[in-house]
Amino acid sequence: MNRYEKGAAAAVGLMALAAGAIFLFAPTDALQGPVQRIFYLHVSSAIAAYGCFAVVLLGGIIYLRNGSLAADRLARAGALVGLVFTTVTLVMGMLWAKPIWGTFWAWDARLTSTLVLWIIYAGYLLVRRLAEPGRQAARFAAVVGIFGFIDVPIVHFSVTWWRTQHPGPIIVNDALPGEMLATFLFTMACTLALATAMIAIRYRIETLADGPVPAVAEKATAVTTGQREPVK
Amino acid sequence: MTNSIAIALAVARKDLTAEWRTRELVPALAQFVVLALIIANFGFQIDARNAPSIAPGVLWMALVFAGLVAFGRAFAAEREQASLEAMLMTPASPVAIFAGKALAATLLLIGCEAVLLPALALFFGTPLSAAIVSAVLLATIGMAALGCLFSAMVARIRARELLLPLLTLPLWIPFIVAGGQAVQVAMGATGNYDQALALLVDFDILFVVLTSLAARFVLDE
Repeated sequence: MNRYEKGAAAAVGLMALAAGAIFLFAPTDALQGPVQRIFYLHVSSAIAAYGCFAVVLLGGIIYLRNGSLAADRLARAGALVGLVFTTVTLVMGMLWAKPIWGTFWAWDARLTSTLVLWIIYAGYLLVRRLAEPGRQAARFAAVVGIFGFIDVPIVHFSVTWWRTQHPGPIIVNDALPGEMLATFLFTMACTLALATAMIAIRYRIETLADGPVPAVAEKATAVTTGQREPVK
Repeated sequence: MTNSIAIALAVARKDLTAEWRTRELVPALAQFVVLALIIANFGFQIDARNAPSIAPGVLWMALVFAGLVAFGRAFAAEREQASLEAMLMTPASPVAIFAGKALAATLLLIGCEAVLLPALALFFGTPLSAAIVSAVLLATIGMAALGCLFSAMVARIRARELLLPLLTLPLWIPFIVAGGQAVQVAMGATGNYDQALALLVDFDILFVVLTSLAARFVLDE
């Protein structure tokens, strides 16, 4: 087992532990019943997705500043993993909404901005696929990643001023009983560990997909073009 | 600074002259939006009672898709003749060139709106007030900045017709949210018109600044 396999195994193990805590340790909600257990993974994966997209933002800014290939690979990894977690958030949210709100979807701030988030980063991955690999794809994607990250809070707040259905923050408002809070915090830590492991593995895949970049060639390119990114 | 403004104006004048000589885009867009109104009529069964509630949606739908066509064409001529590379080789700053292209595309879209808004009032019986016009114009500024940025981007990419809507539409949503609200209120719905208009101004400032920062990275590529 190499360290990526170990990391993956550890993350899966942690998620199994989180599942145990969600189904065995956490009390059943008095009003909503067992369906409320969706909450733990739903909110955790939303937070993990935000974290991943913050990685995309930072990677994009660093890439545009100094052309660091590592930053670009990190952004690529973050976008893909973030998209997976956004999908999980949306699907679990819809499954929760159906019994509680009576509908899979409501046009409110949270739901709308999360859907927009999903579409923006799906577009990000499409830019990566369609643009010429290398400098062009990295630059264009960095711009999309930066605009995407800024757009989402804007959509969120602009929609908030007119309609809401989704509950507001309950963690910071201290509205959760102790056992639920402990389960939630544990699930969130496990989900963040899973996201980190996924990004690390994806980063490795991107590195291998980029192919070997000889240090000498990189320097030579930097001298001739005045840029630090190697041209493919 | 004054030099950059002169360059931007020169680029915009070049684009507008080209459009004036060929008269391709604005007539096509005008037909496009009138067709959108016809389709909306059959899709919604519009009558005097439901028109005020449906018209704002039809307006933004038509405007958004006309905008996609307009901005998709903004860099088409430059791409076909590889003249963007030539423009970038001059000492002119890429931001000034971008600003000129965006200005011209904005004016062309406003030309299309000059057909869309009266046609909407004519066919749907909705008012054509200063409130509606100012909301649409304010939204146009920010939408044009974003649309031109991504148009410049997809001009270098395969499958550009596919990608432009996918990249642009999600980023236009803030303008549709605020502009949609403003037009709904102007057509008789309850709500806060001034707040929506203030939001549009905020979004305009934010996205014009951001796109001018990002333009260098997109055009230089």
